[in-house]
Amino acid sequence: MFTFIARRVVSALGTLLLSSVLVFLAVQALPGDVATQVLGKDATPSAVAALREKLSLDQPAWERYTEWVKGAVHGDFGASLVSGKAVGGEVGQYLGNSLLIALVTVLFAVTGSLVLGIVAGLYRDRWPDHLISTASLVGMSVPEFVVATVLVLAFSVALPLFPAVVLYGPGATTGQLLPAVWLPAASLAIVMAAYIVRMARTSVIDVMASEYVTTARLKGLSSWRVVTRHALPSALLPTLHVIALNVAWLIGGVAVVENVFNYPGIGKLMLSSVQNRDLPVIQAIALISAVVYVLCNLAADLGAMALNPKLRTRGGRAR
Amino acid sequence: MSDTSQRTPPGAPRRSIPRRSLLAAAAAGGGALGASWLLTGCSGAGSGPGAGPAADAVPAAAPSGRPAPGGTLRIARPPASEAETLDPASALSAYEYLGALYNRLVRIGPDGNLAPDLAESWEPDDRARTWTFRLRRGVAFHDGRPFTAADAAYTLRHILDAATASPQAAVLAPLVDPKTLRTPDPHTLVVPLKTANAEFPSLLTHYNCYVVPDGSARSIGRTGIGTGPFKLSSFTSAGPGRVTAYEDHWAGRPVLDAIDFYSVADMQARSNALLAGQVDLLSQTNLDFATARVVAASDRATIARAKDAQWYVLPMLTTEKPFTDVRVRQAMKLAYDPEHVLKVALQGAGTAGWDNPVPPIDPNHIAAHPVHDPEQARHLLKRAGHEWLAVDLYTSSYDPIFTPMALAYQESAARAGIRIRVKTAAADSYYTQIWMKKPLMATYWFTGRPIDQLLNQVFRGGSGYNETAWSDPAFDALLDRARAETDDARRRELYGEAQTFVIEKGGAMTPMFADRLVGISRQVRGYAEHGFEFDYLGIGLKGA
Repeated sequence: MFTFIARRVVSALGTLLLSSVLVFLAVQALPGDVATQVLGKDATPSAVAALREKLSLDQPAWERYTEWVKGAVHGDFGASLVSGKAVGGEVGQYLGNSLLIALVTVLFAVTGSLVLGIVAGLYRDRWPDHLISTASLVGMSVPEFVVATVLVLAFSVALPLFPAVVLYGPGATTGQLLPAVWLPAASLAIVMAAYIVRMARTSVIDVMASEYVTTARLKGLSSWRVVTRHALPSALLPTLHVIALNVAWLIGGVAVVENVFNYPGIGKLMLSSVQNRDLPVIQAIALISAVVYVLCNLAADLGAMALNPKLRTRGGRAR
Repeated sequence: MSDTSQRTPPGAPRRSIPRRSLLAAAAAGGGALGASWLLTGCSGAGSGPGAGPAADAVPAAAPSGRPAPGGTLRIARPPASEAETLDPASALSAYEYLGALYNRLVRIGPDGNLAPDLAESWEPDDRARTWTFRLRRGVAFHDGRPFTAADAAYTLRHILDAATASPQAAVLAPLVDPKTLRTPDPHTLVVPLKTANAEFPSLLTHYNCYVVPDGSARSIGRTGIGTGPFKLSSFTSAGPGRVTAYEDHWAGRPVLDAIDFYSVADMQARSNALLAGQVDLLSQTNLDFATARVVAASDRATIARAKDAQWYVLPMLTTEKPFTDVRVRQAMKLAYDPEHVLKVALQGAGTAGWDNPVPPIDPNHIAAHPVHDPEQARHLLKRAGHEWLAVDLYTSSYDPIFTPMALAYQESAARAGIRIRVKTAAADSYYTQIWMKKPLMATYWFTGRPIDQLLNQVFRGGSGYNETAWSDPAFDALLDRARAETDDARRRELYGEAQTFVIEKGGAMTPMFADRLVGISRQVRGYAEHGFEFDYLGIGLKGA
């Protein structure tokens, strides 16, 4: 168990380093740099040269990268090239706002979709299944920004229940953001839930058709007990990885949805940083995304171990 | 970004940072589609050539009537960047705040002529080598300090200071030596010029030229202390901010009690905020037609127009083949019908440009222009050895008009045998990779530059904003003669000649001036905006 985790942590560190190199190279490959992007049409040669010198963009790329790595190892992620603020604090603020959305989304999407997926699996080919399967197919096919727009039109314009956009900056309090969290979270949850519903349904159907479930039934166990004690743990196994991947996907999906709602989260920060070629901020966000991916997958693996009967029985309770 | 920001210099689109990545642009496009489909039904509002419904669905003017005193106006604005500042001279200034917080010495009136602001009058010596400005008395900054000639002189020195890196410095530096400014008394500013310029005061109407207090260079970006109708209450870069009425403003108190500025980067998000009643006005936002129809159809909001607020250009790089040949440039211009482009790309919401970049509102504008003549275009191309000319025309989703304009041009020019291949480039690097780099592309500027600045910045050889890289010593000499001419009628004639010069020999095709479709709440009264002038004093809300 511990060697397993240790191995995963080492490979995770490798992944992080690799992703930082890739992101750095990708940003270098983008046309333009901070100076030209921020100045836009005012990017006269002398203005660009002055800004480049001020931001030390005139140094070679590899020198700037090694400088960044040196700082990052010591926990110093540098300062934003655009705002001049320390990246750690700035990204942290936006990240906190995004976590609020993520939390609500995951809570609703995961519990809701598991319940729906299981119901669909248990009522296979009957009307609850048809209803849920069709709805989840639609949710899967419609892009999140369309879902977001439809939700805005329905619940902020036609029926003014929620704000259409967030008018506060990144420093908004949780109280200010709370009314604005629901529509973005719903947009993300609808798209995310669709995959989990499909996966949960399929595995429930597989498990319910398996021999040990038939055996359990023959032994006279109640349907409720068969489903909760015997079928579900096995059915959840494959679903776990889908959930993990979807939670990790959130960090990308959030970029589009946050922009539609002007929500001051990490997705919006990422978009503006990429537009501005604000490398230290992009690096920090990429690092966070990589950490989220690694953690989600690690959590899924550990969860799978916990649910796997073979692993559960290994510890002394052998019959 | 976008939205483009602004920093738009010489009349350029104010926002140069693309406010939208491809992703966001797609989102916005999808959003607009979804919105128009849901709210108005699919009206078959195709942008197909000639098929577009007239912009009649979009009202021509905002509700009229007098505003009631008091109230708070909420404005959604596209942020320039996280590096935004309140320093008016900076390339990174938060544009919307400037007119509320500050005054200039001179502004442009609704008739296109100069109007007094902090200067009550101004006169040149007989050769236009020295300008004397008589300043308004009894004006106080928001912190209580009286406004004097020292502040006016300091403002000019601040703009010219290399550390400020002001875009307007390039315009003023060849004319003004900061060391020679004189303030003979607290209400007189004397500006000796390096070369004669009868249009000098017009150059001070630029939005980089708002007057700041003496010695404020280090703090002005945060304090926003000016003499304007509102004083700063709070400001965050690319975030929310608030200005409140300045009771002691020299021209009287503004109608409103306060203005809240919110920064919303995505255009679709901005119009959603308006539709949901969260904001009252979308500044610096030209709504696309689909969104404008949705806004106009809603109960809460409608559309106001800023007449001829931007001019669209298809600049031909005169240093790149085949546009090095003036006959090819003339053929490209004669080949297309600006009226057709106006009808297709703008659904008629604007004025045909006929390749003259000087806006119709400018008193120096000349109406004469060559007529659309595809046969003559064909003939010119043949003589230049470019019969059946085929060229690439670059556009992007940076602005919703670019691609319709390119397609309309393509269609119109085909009649002269010119084959245009329309190519779409990425929006977020459009102004760094395409503008001034590709031989033919689509772009726009915001109108509002006085004629001397417009012609010298965009058309004079060697200027940083000369997007066609056109350089003609005869034209530059004509501009020099015009700005040195002290006789007003004669100067106007010379500027007329300069416009003819641009139309006949220059590299810029100017198909049209476009009205800006401004999303505005039905509660707003007294909205007035032209060029870079916004009436913050008179705007207000309808009474209860």
